[in-house]
Amino acid sequence: MSATAVPIRLALLVLAVCAAPARAASPPALDAVAGALAREVGPPVEGRRALLLDVETRAPALAAPLETALDAALSSLGYAVTPLGGGAQPERSARAAGQDWLLRVRAGLVPGRREVALIGELIPAWASFFLQRRPDARAIPPRIVQARVAADPETLLLAREAAPTGAPFATVRTLARLPGRVLALAIGEPGEPGHAAIVAVTPEAVVVLSPAGERIAERLDLPGAARPVRDPAATVAVGDFGGGRIALQRAGAARGEVLALRGASLEPAGALDAAPLCAGEAGRLFGGFEPGTGVLRDVLGPLVDPATAPRSPRTLYGAACAPRGGPLSYAIVGTDLAVELLGPALRPVAPRAPVSTGCGFALADLDGDGTAELVVSAADPAGPERLRVLAPLAEAPLLLESPTVAGAVLAGAGGDVTGDGVDDAVLAAIVQDGGSVATELLLVTSDPREAR
Amino acid sequence: MMRALVLALCLAPALAAAGVRPSYGGTIRIGVGTAPRLGDGAQGPGDAFVERATAAPLLELDAAGALAPGALAEVPLPEAGGRAFRLRLRPGLADASGRPLGAADVAARLAALLSPDAPSPDAWVALPVLGADALAERRASLLAGVQVLSPTELLVTLAFPLPEFPWLLAAAPLALRGAGPFVAQPRRAPQDPLVLVRNDRHHLGRPFADEVRVVAVDPRGAARLVEQGGLDLVLRPEAAGGRAGPVLRALAATVALVNPARLGPGADAARSALRALDRTELARRFVRGPAEPLRTLVPPAILPGAPHDDAPPAVGAALPARLALLADSSAPDQRALAERIQVKLFDRGIRASVDLADGGRFRARLAAGDYDVALLVVPVQAVRPALAAGQIAFAARGARAARRTMAALAGLEGDDALAAAARVARELDLVPLVASGVRASPAAALQGLAPRPDGAIDAGALWLLRRGAP
Repeated sequence: MSATAVPIRLALLVLAVCAAPARAASPPALDAVAGALAREVGPPVEGRRALLLDVETRAPALAAPLETALDAALSSLGYAVTPLGGGAQPERSARAAGQDWLLRVRAGLVPGRREVALIGELIPAWASFFLQRRPDARAIPPRIVQARVAADPETLLLAREAAPTGAPFATVRTLARLPGRVLALAIGEPGEPGHAAIVAVTPEAVVVLSPAGERIAERLDLPGAARPVRDPAATVAVGDFGGGRIALQRAGAARGEVLALRGASLEPAGALDAAPLCAGEAGRLFGGFEPGTGVLRDVLGPLVDPATAPRSPRTLYGAACAPRGGPLSYAIVGTDLAVELLGPALRPVAPRAPVSTGCGFALADLDGDGTAELVVSAADPAGPERLRVLAPLAEAPLLLESPTVAGAVLAGAGGDVTGDGVDDAVLAAIVQDGGSVATELLLVTSDPREAR
Repeated sequence: MMRALVLALCLAPALAAAGVRPSYGGTIRIGVGTAPRLGDGAQGPGDAFVERATAAPLLELDAAGALAPGALAEVPLPEAGGRAFRLRLRPGLADASGRPLGAADVAARLAALLSPDAPSPDAWVALPVLGADALAERRASLLAGVQVLSPTELLVTLAFPLPEFPWLLAAAPLALRGAGPFVAQPRRAPQDPLVLVRNDRHHLGRPFADEVRVVAVDPRGAARLVEQGGLDLVLRPEAAGGRAGPVLRALAATVALVNPARLGPGADAARSALRALDRTELARRFVRGPAEPLRTLVPPAILPGAPHDDAPPAVGAALPARLALLADSSAPDQRALAERIQVKLFDRGIRASVDLADGGRFRARLAAGDYDVALLVVPVQAVRPALAAGQIAFAARGARAARRTMAALAGLEGDDALAAAARVARELDLVPLVASGVRASPAAALQGLAPRPDGAIDAGALWLLRRGAP
């Protein structure tokens, strides 16, 4: 190579890089899952490099980015990838086009987990020398390949299915049934990151449930740890509380406690001098019980500060945090059943119309528009129980009213339970179960998979 | 632990249909027929309400009528063939002033009920205890059947097997005074409203309301005040206001006492005429509140049915020359009942006059035997046939009759209990007439009203619904 050739080639390389169309990076989760599937497929054997790629997804928006990510991943292994781009008979198309392989990939979100999963069929498309009389016969048996990785927000956005035309804003279904009365609920990631769970506090125990309602861990409460309270109550939140991610306080207890979820066990990890009311992306909220009662003083603060002065002499049933923050970050319900909406800086936000609720309520951005909706129970104790989804800042706030719900809804929480990247709400309905009391956990979700 | 949780659930304030938890604070205003009295011998619903509000029952009744722990940590089981019961108190029990309460206080309460120096109208609850008669008759200075084993445990030995004894422990007279959800404040005059303030040391926790005011109201005033928001609850025979509330079970038994010593040979005719009364008509037309005919000594709410062996009417018995029908003018409906009975006796050829005496005078004349026939109303406080009959027998004929009655009905249920109760009524010369109750008329804001099977209302569970938003 001559001395002048090197600068010229470098200049050409820079020109080529600059002239090439900018390739937007795929969401990391798509790259990861495509890479994992490509590794399952393995490098080309016997020089058979031509591969026809057929990608099918439940959410149409996911198909093209996934196809791009798979193309890149397979190409890096040495395949010459041709996207199918539609067509009724992909295997015949692959044979007609002289492809060596057809890779048919189905993709979607794993129900209840924030994971994207790919399942592929690797089908040989070349004509077998030994089976010339049967041109449609496959030269070797096809192979199933699959891969699954945690989904990032971008992938969740792409993979979220559109609601069918005419579908209600959200659906309500029973998620689980627990013995006893659930006093407080929280949704979050109490253990490994990326694994959502529901934390329920009953008079006897703290229970961690999977998004499918299966019991992951349980910790029985020590008898006599709290002074008796006529109306048992508790607060619970899932977030960063130092040694553990679950914080709770029972009415009558001197202090709150922090628990760490380790495998299938809940272990004490600290104590709190305040009641953890809720936690979301806008921050945590702490308060305190009115001594000897199951209701809270009107104390709200982002820090554990027992000296925080009450905002007013009124008492509260509870507080809810929007899991993803936003213009409506907090909702406070007083024992006068008045609802107070607060922004991220704890400043009041005026609703378009008065909002009423019972004691079971939650903030959750059910439609993923960046502003949390308020999921509320009935405010009239003389009437039947119903759940309503309200958009307090909208012109028409009522988005959904459920049919009559059995029992009395007394607790709720928001968070992504279905794993589609969009908030859901879980509310606790106290029901009579023979001669005892039980709690039905009701899932309120706009995930279209739940509507099928 | 589990029992405590079950109790907590059973006794938890009744949830409303929709999800609204109780709130704390405020004053609940309650209207009753007569100004409530403080002390033993609850007569009307106001007395019973105040008694339960200011005392902690040893055992509670749940909504299904089963016994549940109260001040006692557990429901005691019979020992020694149903003649002994070991009572274990809840640890950390204290009265409103913070004074610890324990086994010695239960023993003292049992002894106080039997004290010959201050006879209690509620002494019937202590009569089954071994040595009760000796203490009441000054033959002993201690109650032999009560042994305090430790600060929180005592052993009660009975004079006769009584499987129903645990239900006596749920009766208001044995409740620990000063340890209820509220504390009564002094008042200037008995007719003044009675103010009860909350007791934060109650073993179930702080009551929901800060204060309860109990005031005597007449029927018209009650209806008007409920409508105008001046009262949150009315406990009277008739409904008040437009909102129907629960009926407290008809547990006030009205019986006629025949005094053969005064009536002489005419007693048979009087007895026969009283037994022939149409009790259904009496209950339907001459009692203002919910009422049922009383077929035996035991109200049908506790022992339904009628005995098969009703005694045949006396034929050809000599009529009394004249008969005075003594009735308590301070008790509801007694005047109307007496006047109706007067008419019915006249129809059978007996010239009767109605002799009304109020409260104390009535009881004094009853105790002295100064009556021909007396109408006695007994608010039954224990929901087992043996105990209910025993309480009525005590009020009508004294301690020995009550003890005999409880022993005779001990362990009996159904037809056997009906037959025994009818037999005891004849032996005691009592004619059962009607059982009556009262209605609870709540205002819309009042929540947590759930009368128990013994008619008791837990004042600590009442709360007011407040609304700050539409």
